[in-house]
Amino acid sequence: MTSKDECSTTDTNQASRESTNMSQDIVSSVGNSVIQPSGKVFKSTKARSSNKLTVVLRSIWQRGEGKFALIVLALWVAVSLVSLVWTPQSLWATDGYHVWAKPSAAHWLGTDGTGADVFSWLMAGARTNLFIAILAVVFAGALGILLMGAMVSRNSALSNVSVVAVDALISIPTALIALILAVPMGASVAVIIIACGIGYGLNLARIARPQALLAANSDYVASSLSYGASGFSVMLHHILPNAMPTIMVQLSLSAGTAVLAESGLTYLGVGVPSGVPSWGHSLATSVKFINVYPLTVLWPGLIVTVVVVALNVFGDVLRDAIDPVTNPELREV
Amino acid sequence: MPTNSGAYGENDATDSKATGNNENETAANVAGSSANVSDNATNTGSTGANANHDAEAKNTGSTDETLNAHVKGTSVGNVSGGTGGHGKKKGWTWAIVAAVVVVALIAAFVVIRNNRKASIAPAQVHTADSVTIGLKLAPTNLDIRNQSGSSLDQVLVGNVYEGLVARDSQNKVVPGLAKSWEKSADGMSYTFHLNRGMNFSNGDKLDASDVAWSINELVAKHYHDSEALMNFKSVTATDADTVKLDLTAPYANLLWELACRPGLVFDKNANYDMKTQAVGSGPYTVAKFVPNDSITLKANPKYWGTHKAATSTIVLRYFGDDNAAVNALKSGDVQVLAPVTENLAEPFVKDNANYRVAAGDDTDKFVLAMNSKGAKTSDLRVRQAIRYAIDHKQLIASRGGADKPLGGPIPSLDPGYQDLTGLYPHNVEKAKALMKEAGYTPDHPLELRLTYANTYGTELGDQLRSQLKPIGIDLKVNVVEFSTWLQDVLKNKDYDLSMVDHNESHDFSQWTQDSYYYNYSNQKVKDYYNQAMAASSDSQRDALLAKAARVVSEDAPADWLFNYRITTAMKSGVSGFPLNLNQTLLPLYNVRYMTQVK
Amino acid sequence: MRFVIRRFLLFVAALLAISVVIFAALRILPGDVASVMAGLNAPPERVAQLRSQMGLDRPLIVQYFSWMGGLLHGDFGTSLLTGRSISSMVAMRASVTFPLIVLGLVVALAIGLTLGVVATLATRPAVRSAFHFVAIVGGAIPALWGGLLLILLFGRGTGLLGILPSQGFPEAGWSSFGSALASLVLPALTVGIIDGASLMRYTRSALGDVMNSGYIDQAMACGYTRRQAALKVGLRLATPQLVSVVGLMFAGMITGVMVIESLFALPGIGAGLITDLGNRDLIAVQSELFMLAAFFLFVGFLVDLLHRFLDPRLKHAVQGGAQ
Repeated sequence: MTSKDECSTTDTNQASRESTNMSQDIVSSVGNSVIQPSGKVFKSTKARSSNKLTVVLRSIWQRGEGKFALIVLALWVAVSLVSLVWTPQSLWATDGYHVWAKPSAAHWLGTDGTGADVFSWLMAGARTNLFIAILAVVFAGALGILLMGAMVSRNSALSNVSVVAVDALISIPTALIALILAVPMGASVAVIIIACGIGYGLNLARIARPQALLAANSDYVASSLSYGASGFSVMLHHILPNAMPTIMVQLSLSAGTAVLAESGLTYLGVGVPSGVPSWGHSLATSVKFINVYPLTVLWPGLIVTVVVVALNVFGDVLRDAIDPVTNPELREV
Repeated sequence: MPTNSGAYGENDATDSKATGNNENETAANVAGSSANVSDNATNTGSTGANANHDAEAKNTGSTDETLNAHVKGTSVGNVSGGTGGHGKKKGWTWAIVAAVVVVALIAAFVVIRNNRKASIAPAQVHTADSVTIGLKLAPTNLDIRNQSGSSLDQVLVGNVYEGLVARDSQNKVVPGLAKSWEKSADGMSYTFHLNRGMNFSNGDKLDASDVAWSINELVAKHYHDSEALMNFKSVTATDADTVKLDLTAPYANLLWELACRPGLVFDKNANYDMKTQAVGSGPYTVAKFVPNDSITLKANPKYWGTHKAATSTIVLRYFGDDNAAVNALKSGDVQVLAPVTENLAEPFVKDNANYRVAAGDDTDKFVLAMNSKGAKTSDLRVRQAIRYAIDHKQLIASRGGADKPLGGPIPSLDPGYQDLTGLYPHNVEKAKALMKEAGYTPDHPLELRLTYANTYGTELGDQLRSQLKPIGIDLKVNVVEFSTWLQDVLKNKDYDLSMVDHNESHDFSQWTQDSYYYNYSNQKVKDYYNQAMAASSDSQRDALLAKAARVVSEDAPADWLFNYRITTAMKSGVSGFPLNLNQTLLPLYNVRYMTQVK
Repeated sequence: MRFVIRRFLLFVAALLAISVVIFAALRILPGDVASVMAGLNAPPERVAQLRSQMGLDRPLIVQYFSWMGGLLHGDFGTSLLTGRSISSMVAMRASVTFPLIVLGLVVALAIGLTLGVVATLATRPAVRSAFHFVAIVGGAIPALWGGLLLILLFGRGTGLLGILPSQGFPEAGWSSFGSALASLVLPALTVGIIDGASLMRYTRSALGDVMNSGYIDQAMACGYTRRQAALKVGLRLATPQLVSVVGLMFAGMITGVMVIESLFALPGIGAGLITDLGNRDLIAVQSELFMLAAFFLFVGFLVDLLHRFLDPRLKHAVQGGAQ
C-alpha cells in the first residue's frame, strides 16, 4: 500500500469515472446509506458550481423552513452590516441616571446596567456573533477535515498518532480550553474562536471518522488505488464527498453551537471582553437582574435561540439540498 | 445610618401602596393580552396551512422522480427526501406561536410574581435555633495566619478567634481578651491586662503566655500582616494576666492592628491543621467547612465571655452568582444577604413587610490607579484630566445610589478622613483643555488600557470608557482574572490604569511605599505619614494623615471612584446583624431570627 | 482481542501525552498561588517565602515527576490552598456533578431516543414537523437562558410554581437524599432537555439514514412491517453512531454543566475547577484535569470498543482491509 502523501501520476478523472461505474454496483449490492454520491457531481467545472449554488439555494428556498432559515440568516448579515455604520443610539451613550429603564420611544428595548440602549447593543452584537460563528466554523472545518484525513490515513503511524491525539485532546472540554486560553490572553473573541474551533474540529473529525473509514476501506477506493490514485486524490474524491453530508450538518451545528458557546463563555467571564457588543454580553450582564428586570434577559436569549434554530435548520436543509440522492435537480446540472 | 434606613422606609411606604393598586390591573392586562395572542395564533395557523398547499404542489412534482428512482414505497421516501411535505409549514407556524405564548406567559408570571404581596398572619414569636447567612467572597481555607483576604477576617475574627483587643462597628478599638491597657508616656511600651478565666474551645486555658506566644510566632514566621506590626521590639507575659509589648519607636496604629490579625491569640498547646480546622476562644466553633461553598458555625459550649451566641447554629453560605444569592433569600434558603447588589435589592425594598434592606459604612475604596511612571500616565495633566472627566455621581447613581463619593485615599471610617471631593469636581471642559495641552483630542485620542479583575463586573469599565471618550481618551478595557491582575499589575506594574476595590482599613501606608504598584512617590507624603505614626495623640495623628491624604489626592496618582457601602438585605425577623464593615468584621453572637408561628 | 489490546495501549499513551500537555500548559499561565495567598498588601519577600514553603521553587521537571510518582501510587496530591487531599475534594464535587450528568443524560436519552424514534416513524407530516421543531428549538436554547426560564417557572421562591429548589446543594449532601435529589432536578432538566433535543436530531438522522438503506427494504421483504423493521433492524444499525454521539455528549455536558453549576450555585466539578484555576492552585487543577481527561479517554475507549462490536459492517470492512 502506498502512503497517503505519495504522489501519483494517474489521471484523477479516470479514477472518478471508474468510481461512477463502481458506485452503481455498490448502490444495488451494499445499500446506499454511506457510499451514495455518484462521481458525476464531483467532476464539477466552475460554471457548473455556480449553477449548483443556484440550484442548492433554490431548493433550500422552496422549503418552508429553508425559507425561514435563509431569511433569518440574511437578516443577521444585514443587521451586522448596518450596525457598523448606524445604530439607533450610540453604544457609548451611557447614562448612569437611567439604568434598566423600561422600553420607550428613545430606547425600544429599554436600557442596560450602564444606561446604554439595549436595542443598539443587540444590533451591534449581531456582527460580533457573526464574526465568531464564521471564523469558528472555518477553523473547525479545516482542523476537522485535516484530522479526519490523518485518522483514516493508510500510513499507520500517522493514523495511530492522530487517533490518540484526537482522543486525548477531545477529553478536554471546550469550556476548559477557553478557560485556560483566557488566562494568558484575557477575555477575548479570539479565545472563543480558538476554543470552539479546536473543540468542534476534534468532534467533527471523530464523528466523521466512521464514515470516512467505511469509505476508505470500501472496494471502490481499493480499486481507485489499484489504478494508482494518490492518497490525496482518494481523500478529495472519495472520502471527503462521502463524509460531506455529515461534515456539513456538523459544521452548521457548530456554527450554532459557537453562538451558544459565546453566551456561555461570556457568562463565565472568558468570552467577549468588556466593551465589545455581543448577545452573550447582553445576556450575561442582564442575567444577574432577571428577577428585577426579566425582559432585558428575554431578548438576547430569544435572539440567540432564533438564530441558532435558523443555523440548525439551514444545516438540515442544506444536507438534503447538496445530496444528489435527495435533490434530483442537482443531478441535472 | 438612621437617615438612610429612613429614606428606605419612605420609599417602601409609597411603593407598596402603588403595588397594591396595580395588582389587579396587571393581572387583567395579562389575561387580555394572552387572549389576543391566541386569537392571532388561530389566524396565522390557518393562513399558514393555506399557503402551504401551493408549495406542496410544486414540491411533489420535482421529488417524484427521485423517489421512484431510489426508494421503494412512496410513504417511506418521505422520511428524508421530500421533507417539504404537507403540514410542515403549519407545524412550524404553530410551534412559533407556541414559543411566543410561552415566553409571553413567563413574562406575565414574572410581572405578577414581582407584584405579589405576601400576607402576614399574626401569631406567636419563635426564635430560630439556626440562621443561614448568604455572603459573597468565600475563603479557600481557614489558615488565618497565612491566607490573605477579608473573607477570613469576616468569618473568624471575633467569632472563632479573638484578639488581644477588638474593634467596634465604628472601626474604633475596644477591649477584647484584654479588658484594659496602658500606654507609656513615650508611646513605646504597652501593658495589657487580660480577662480572667478564659479558655479555648478545646478546653485549654487561655492566658498571657498564649498571647505572647501568638505574637512572637507571627513575627518570627512572618505570618500574614506581620509587617503591619511596625517598630515591634518584644512581647512578654509578665504574669498570667499581664502582657507587655515594647516598640522601638512609637506607632500610632498599633492598637488598631492588634484588633486585626496580628493580635489574634492561638492555643500554643493545640495541634491541628489550620487550613481545615480552627481552635479559638470565641463564641463559635467551626463545625463544618466546605471550601468555596459554606461554613457551619456552632455555639462554643465552653465560651468564657460576655458575647454568648444567641443562635446556636449559624451557616454561612457563599454565592458567587448574585442572582443565585437573591433567589436564595427569596426562597428562604438564607435569611440574610450581605452584600446584595443594590439594583437587585429592589424587590426586597418594595416588600418591606417581609424584608429589611439597609446600607452600612465601610472602608472599601474603588481605586482607579493611574501608573505614575507609566509611559502615558506619567503626565500629570492626563491624570488630572481623567479625574475631572469622571462623573462620580453618575457612577454611584447607576449602582443604586448607596455608595459615597470619595475624593482621596482615606474613607470616612478611617483616621484622617477629610472630604476631598472638591479637589477635582466633574468638569469635562477643564478635562478637555488639559488633554489638549497634553497633545490629545477626540480626533487624536490617547489610547489607554484599563486592567481590572473580573469580580467587579463589566459595567464600570464600559461607563469609564464612555466617560473618557469625549475628552480624547480611547480606553481599552481589559477584564482579567484576579490572579492575572496580581501578576500583571501588582507584581509587574505593567498597566496604564487599574481598578481594584481596596477594602482594607488603615492602609494609607500604600502611598508611602515606592515599590507598591501605584509607582507613586512623594517625600512630603512620607514625612507626614511618619510624623502621624509617631504622634502621641489620636487627634494629632488624624490631622497629619489628613494633610498627607490631601497631598496624595492633589498629585492625582489615582481616582477614587467611590466609597463602596455594603447593602444588606434580611428577613424582617432578623436582628443583631451588623451593617457597618460587615465584609471584614462580622460579629455574629447577637444575630437572632424571630419567626412568627401560626 | 488484538484490537482491544492495541486500543488499550493507545489509551495509556494518550493518558501520558495529556499529562504532559496539562502540566506544561498550566506552568505557562501567569500568576501563582503564592501571590494569591499573600494578597494585595504583602511585601515580595512574603510571596517568596510562601513559594518556597509550598515547593513551587523546585525545578519543573522535579515537580512533574513528583506529581506523576504520586499518581502512580494513586495519590493525587494535596491542594496548596485548602490543604485537603485532591481526591477527597474531587470526590465531594463529583458527588454533585456525576449524579447531575447521569440524571441529565437519563432525561436526554428519554427525550431524545423516544422522540427521535417516534419522529422518524411518524407518518403524519404534521406530527413529524412538530417533533422536528421541538428538536431544533430545544437544541438551540442557550443553557444559561434555558436554566433561567426553568427557574422562573419552577424555582422555589421565584418561580410561578415554586416547587423546586433552584439554589445550591444541601450541606448534608446525599445523606439527606430527598433534598439532594430535589436540588438536582432543575439543573438536570436544563441539561437534559437541551441535550435531549440534539440527541433527538442525531437519532432521527442516524435512523433516517438506515431507514433509507437497503437493509430496511430487505427486512421488510422478509415480512417485517416498517415499524418492526425500524425497531429490530434500524435501531441496531443506528446504535453505533448513537453510542459515539452519547459518548461525546458526556464530554460536552461538562462544558454545559459549568454554566449550569454556576447558575444553580452547585458545588460541582466545573465550578470547583474554575475556582481552583482562578486561585492558581495548580496541583489541584492539574490533578482534576487529569482525572477528567482520564475519565473521558476511558469513555472514548469504551465507545470505540462498543462501536466496533456493534457495527458488523465496520468489523468486516476493517478485517477485509487488513487481509
